[in-house]
Amino acid sequence: MIDLRISNCNKNYGSLRVLKDINLEIERGEFIVLLGPSGCGKSTLLHIVAGLDRLSAGAIEIGGRDVTDVEPKDRDIAMVFQSYALYPTMSVRSNMEFGLRMRGKPMSEIRPLVEEKARMLHIDHLLDRRPSQLSGGQRQRVAIGRALVRDPKVFLFDEPLSNLDAKLRASMRTEIKKLHQSLGTTAIYVTHDQLEAMTLATRMVVMKAGEIQQVGKPEEVYHRPVNLFVADFLGNPGMNFMKGHLRLEGGRVSADVGAATIPLDGYAFDTAPTDGQAVVVGLRPESVQPSTGGEPFALTLKPTLIEHTGSDNLVVLAMGGEEIVGKFPSDMLPTLGEPVTVGFDLSRLSVFDAQTERRI
Amino acid sequence: MRRFLQRHVSQVALSPSLALIAIFLYGFIAYTAAVSTTNSKAFPRFDTFVGLEQYWRLFHTPRWHVAFTNMFLFGGLFLLVTISLGLLIAILIDQRIRAESFFRSIVMYPMAMSFVVTGIIWQWLLNPTLGIEVMMHQLGFESFRLDWLTNPDTVIWALVVAAFWQGCGLVMALFLAGLRGIDEDIWKAAAVDGIPAWRVYVFIVIPMLAPVFLTVVVLLSLSIVRAFDLVVALTNGGPGVSSDLPSVFMFDMAFRRTNLGLSAASAVVMLGTVLAILIPYLYIETRERA
Repeated sequence: MIDLRISNCNKNYGSLRVLKDINLEIERGEFIVLLGPSGCGKSTLLHIVAGLDRLSAGAIEIGGRDVTDVEPKDRDIAMVFQSYALYPTMSVRSNMEFGLRMRGKPMSEIRPLVEEKARMLHIDHLLDRRPSQLSGGQRQRVAIGRALVRDPKVFLFDEPLSNLDAKLRASMRTEIKKLHQSLGTTAIYVTHDQLEAMTLATRMVVMKAGEIQQVGKPEEVYHRPVNLFVADFLGNPGMNFMKGHLRLEGGRVSADVGAATIPLDGYAFDTAPTDGQAVVVGLRPESVQPSTGGEPFALTLKPTLIEHTGSDNLVVLAMGGEEIVGKFPSDMLPTLGEPVTVGFDLSRLSVFDAQTERRI
Repeated sequence: MRRFLQRHVSQVALSPSLALIAIFLYGFIAYTAAVSTTNSKAFPRFDTFVGLEQYWRLFHTPRWHVAFTNMFLFGGLFLLVTISLGLLIAILIDQRIRAESFFRSIVMYPMAMSFVVTGIIWQWLLNPTLGIEVMMHQLGFESFRLDWLTNPDTVIWALVVAAFWQGCGLVMALFLAGLRGIDEDIWKAAAVDGIPAWRVYVFIVIPMLAPVFLTVVVLLSLSIVRAFDLVVALTNGGPGVSSDLPSVFMFDMAFRRTNLGLSAASAVVMLGTVLAILIPYLYIETRERA
């Protein structure tokens, strides 16, 4: 069942097109993450879904009802903001109650509801405090609590964890995930943090310059990016790119990337390859591993730099005139300048047309 | 010597102004307090010590009572009118209106004028034979009457209106800055929560402006106690002494009635009034900072 439908959504500020023909259908219970660099329009899209921004053209449907011209309060949504946006002059309890009171719900119903949600978020002991007396993590819990008590059809999160420190962010991320699993409410979550996107999303939407680049499950977007932008935007360290040309010989396809020829026999082409086509071959660092001898394709390369991250060693290898990065286990420490044999996991290859930057 | 200078450069740089403040501010405050214990007439004479007699006399002078009561009456009305209308104008200007800076300038403009000019402008406007009343008569409203300046019971309103016209800009600017400082997300959260705008103002935004209110009240209160030139230019204390303020009383006693002792006593009482306003404010401010 479709809970939210965004059709042909456009947003212009004067001649500046912030959103271009966005189409998206979200099923009930999905956790959709909008991911993209700043200025890509992801927050604008969220604000439009919330009704805080008007769209220039297109339509928004929530729960099968056209809400394009409906006020935010009547859209059956709740929103959590990056700056928490708690009402500073009210206690935590009043913050959570206020929206319901405005809707004319009787206090006898509001009280137990607020207390139940507060227990759920472990903030029941803070109910009588002011937001200024809380830590950042606690404030964000209150903001989430304020959204929860409304029991909306769709939750909207606008970079809710960006103001928290790294450790707190990780634990809040886990909690939001648990919360979604237990409630099963549809959610849209905006972030520029790819780790948040990968871990939280049931489906993620990668955006750039007001356009959707790719929609899919996190692992699908990660392993089968549709274009160079998505391939490059996801992953840390980023994907290795090798420029080259395709060669078709006797029914076999391979990519000539200068220093080596990579066989593409097992690669599932989306479009038919042509001989001499300029391509970019992409391979993630974790698919470049020290050789165990059994790989179908291995190269002997010279390490030029090693970065220790604790869990792995990132090894920069010279390959022709270019450099590629391999993610080695932490107990595998090559010596600088001494060639090592690395195996390439060719099942994880991505090949892009150099001109259109699309996956082929 | 060099090392001394290097270490104490800030104190050395400040010392001339500190010395000036010590002499011309605190020195003369002390001097005034000393004069208030004498029976000085046209010139200060310390051989006529009378203790607190001038204060006793001050509080038995009917004109002082008029002036002192007027200060609270004028002050209360002025605070109420200026704060409520200043806040209202700030809220209206904050609605992302067109030509915002134009309206801002209009409201701020009177602030650039001295109280004397303000007083004279309003004296003309309120003059029954020159100003608004004549204009209304010419427009056909023959029964229109605006005799604030000549009626002892309403003359205080003339002061309030002129002072508001002058002070509104500052109050509006302070409130507008406060309103602009409020996180946009609060408004968005309120919109999603379905809270009507006036309720957001009453329950959330205006309480958030509490520090601005404090600043505004203190600034306006000080200008109330100091108010002098406006009264002199607009009403000169009249009709009779009905629009007298303590500062006018003080000036009159010192320079026209040659009663320096009584004048000094009234100055000390005014200082006490100012301190009564300032000390709680400074206390709250420093406690919040700590």
